[in-house]
Amino acid sequence: MPGSRFHRARVRRAERAASSLGHGGINLVPLIDVLTSIVFFSLVSYQGLLAELTSFDLALPPVVVTAQQVAAAQPEHQLALLLAVRVQADRMLVEHSGGGGYRREIVGLGVAQLDTLQALMRDIHRQYPQNNDVLVLPADDVSYDDIVHVLERLKMAQFPNVALGTRARVGVPGALTAAGGA
Amino acid sequence: MREGRRHQQFAKFKFAELNLVPLVDTLVSIVFFALTTATVGELAPVTPGVTLPEARVGSNALQQLTLGVGRQVTLAGNPVMSTLDAAQAESSDPRQPLLIPALYSALRLKADSIRTASAEPGIGPVEAPLAIQGDRSMRYDLLSRIMQTARLAGFKNISLQVRRVTDGV
Repeated sequence: MPGSRFHRARVRRAERAASSLGHGGINLVPLIDVLTSIVFFSLVSYQGLLAELTSFDLALPPVVVTAQQVAAAQPEHQLALLLAVRVQADRMLVEHSGGGGYRREIVGLGVAQLDTLQALMRDIHRQYPQNNDVLVLPADDVSYDDIVHVLERLKMAQFPNVALGTRARVGVPGALTAAGGA
Repeated sequence: MREGRRHQQFAKFKFAELNLVPLVDTLVSIVFFALTTATVGELAPVTPGVTLPEARVGSNALQQLTLGVGRQVTLAGNPVMSTLDAAQAESSDPRQPLLIPALYSALRLKADSIRTASAEPGIGPVEAPLAIQGDRSMRYDLLSRIMQTARLAGFKNISLQVRRVTDGV
């Protein structure tokens, strides 16, 4: 009988069975499409997402810039240096005030020398885990590229606070040469 | 017949069908990208004309006030002076021999506008970081002058942004 309740229920069941909708009547296909797009573009742009650039946050050192200020500085304002890496054009010098003073020279700025620096700094950090600060003191003629490599190795040696210092200067710099993009 | 009347009565109250599936899809996309942007932040672009040094470690460089040092010194993309002029500039303050006057003025202006915008009191250092994107061939004497000038202008948080490389590259 076409109008009976039983017939209508049977028709509804048949419609439900024939429907392409998922459980609960929600069509999940567009959602899956959108999620697939998101995953695809996330994977494609993964390198870009994690930044093309990386950043070294510097702790600024208490720089004293003139000889007069060096002489006038109060003892409490003087730099209580614990660990420093001096970078010169052809060598690095690690100075540490712990254990009665420590000084080690590493000749060269190549990959092998940077490996040595990293191992040395890691050893120092292992010996003095409370010391998280290191001061890098490059010479004027050291290139920025070399400085970044030193900073990179110090970060890899687990020193979170790296400061860039500069030596005390007496006069106005006159004969500085330009750099960058040259 | 009675059934037909009932059907007509209920037909008046029948709701229009709303397909909510596209709305849900769009909201999923919006939530995903909103969360990604909030977590990762806006990433820093590279200053044009600057060949950055490369490093494997460091934190993700986010969009900050950027000082570019290539052939020109630029602040937030606007040229301030040539790098040659910056390197040869004489300080106007005998107590601060590293100061670069023209750069100091530009940075000071920025620091003042940051203070005004964020209602930071006084003339103390600003919390906003300053990112330096310097050419890999730059010498440290210039970098130290730039950093010292930035510090004197009020920027105490300075970061060096370099190009990230992975071990496979």
